[in-house]
Amino acid sequence: MSAPMDKPESSRRQFFNGTVRGAFLFLLGAATTLLFRRSQPKRTVWQIDPYKCICCTNCATKCVMHPSAVKCVQVYPMCGYCKLCTGYFEPEPISLDTGAENQLCPTGAIKRRQLEDPYYEYNIDEPLCIGCAKCVKGCVLFGNGSFFLQVRHDRCVNCDECAIAIACPSQAFQRVPADKPYLFKNREHQA
Amino acid sequence: MTQVRGDRTVGFEQHLMNKAPNSVEKSSRRQFLRRSVGGASLFGLGGASALLSFPAQAEKPAAGASSGGGRSLGKEFTYDVSKFYKTDPALIHYAESSKIATGFKELHAVATGPEDRVYAAGDQAVRVFSKTGERVSEFGLSEKPRCLAVATAGNIFVGMKNRVEVFDASGARQARWAVTGGDAVLTAVAVVEKDVFVADAGNRVVLRYDLAGKLLGRIGKKDPERHILGFIVPSPYLDLNVGADGLLWVVNPGRHRLEAYTFDGEIRNYWGEESLGLKGFCGCCNPIHFARLPDGRFVTSEKGLPRVKVYSAQGDFEGVVAGPELFPNQIENPNANATGGVCMDLAVDSAGRVLLADAFLREVRVFTRKK
Repeated sequence: MSAPMDKPESSRRQFFNGTVRGAFLFLLGAATTLLFRRSQPKRTVWQIDPYKCICCTNCATKCVMHPSAVKCVQVYPMCGYCKLCTGYFEPEPISLDTGAENQLCPTGAIKRRQLEDPYYEYNIDEPLCIGCAKCVKGCVLFGNGSFFLQVRHDRCVNCDECAIAIACPSQAFQRVPADKPYLFKNREHQA
Repeated sequence: MTQVRGDRTVGFEQHLMNKAPNSVEKSSRRQFLRRSVGGASLFGLGGASALLSFPAQAEKPAAGASSGGGRSLGKEFTYDVSKFYKTDPALIHYAESSKIATGFKELHAVATGPEDRVYAAGDQAVRVFSKTGERVSEFGLSEKPRCLAVATAGNIFVGMKNRVEVFDASGARQARWAVTGGDAVLTAVAVVEKDVFVADAGNRVVLRYDLAGKLLGRIGKKDPERHILGFIVPSPYLDLNVGADGLLWVVNPGRHRLEAYTFDGEIRNYWGEESLGLKGFCGCCNPIHFARLPDGRFVTSEKGLPRVKVYSAQGDFEGVVAGPELFPNQIENPNANATGGVCMDLAVDSAGRVLLADAFLREVRVFTRKK
């Protein structure tokens, strides 16, 4: 049997002290890491300013992702719920129905749902959308511009030199903070 | 020495005394090392936990990434209405005869008044020009004007976002009233004898007031029993005019037609069709403005495909005042259409000249019928 002086028996107080010290070190480690992270420059991602976009189709062809990481989005508060939606229908549709010959989107990525005659709600089937901006052009030319392009960050690889940004003729591509990665249109620009 | 460890009745000092000197553990090098390693582990563990709890948006692997160049899209991916940008010269019945530089940074509306004077509203002012384009007078406004009308007596009715202000010919304010309704966006005003009609695009209704601003009625709300379909106003354009026929004509832009109402709100007539061709009105919501010529014919303006056309009093297409060729700025800036930034307000004078407020040029463009 070993003598108590050789290997002292742990008291409750010693155990408590050890726990407090351990927790303190744990928290200090966490705090130091977070402070270090915060002191680093803010991370940014690529995004399109929808008010600068001129629907040139480069988003569909220049992105390193296939299909492009740029997708059309539709913002309901901006939508005019046009009877003849120029983002959904061909410029001269045979009739205002869902017939493929009347639809503007070449990939059939825009889905519509009737709300109340003559109002429809539009949604984008993102896997089908290639970011060609055909619908965007139709919408901004005649409607309210509720269809517009955005870089979707669930697929964008955030290249340092974005191939679309280099090719963008209107300099619509810009770096935005990663914690606010989207640039939405709003009604304040209207009226 | 007796240890009293664990005895809660022992005081702190006594406890210290009891511990000393035998109870003070001597730190060995091994213990020191063990504690250092343990502390460092906990420190690191804390940091790792923080990273896991607040992850940085780490760069994703570029799965599927490749060089982007070299792809091209077929013509089916291009929105092309360019064939409508050219007008058959035989159908153009008017020529641009002069311009009035308004001097505004933003031009919002135009109207004509006594002696064929031209009234332009922009920035925060109304400027009055002679029919030959010399500036006659000017008066300031408290906020941005959106529309205006001039009574035969010379009083000027200016519509702001949600109120109407009335000025005499010298610019002194005579009256003002607010338009109730939270979403009010006034886009047109017309005055005839004892009635003032105000188009509220935000609430999709026309409001009828007396000259003092007392609300007399609401016109154009959906009412199937009275065969009124209701105004469809996708963007902030809803124009109106009172014609010599004694009817209130209002654009129903989402239905691509003009509708005639009695002052009591009964629908009496309508005309118009949707088409990108010259005979109809294009896009989602057109025409955006119209005026009546002295003989009752209609002059209309459209956005998207910017063009100004003339229709008979019965609504039959007659000809073109100005085709898209004359509005290159609008064609090159499609976003302006979507943001309500297009001003194509129209007025006509007693000689049948068509006056168009061009927001891009900030000019009133005057068109005269070709001989």
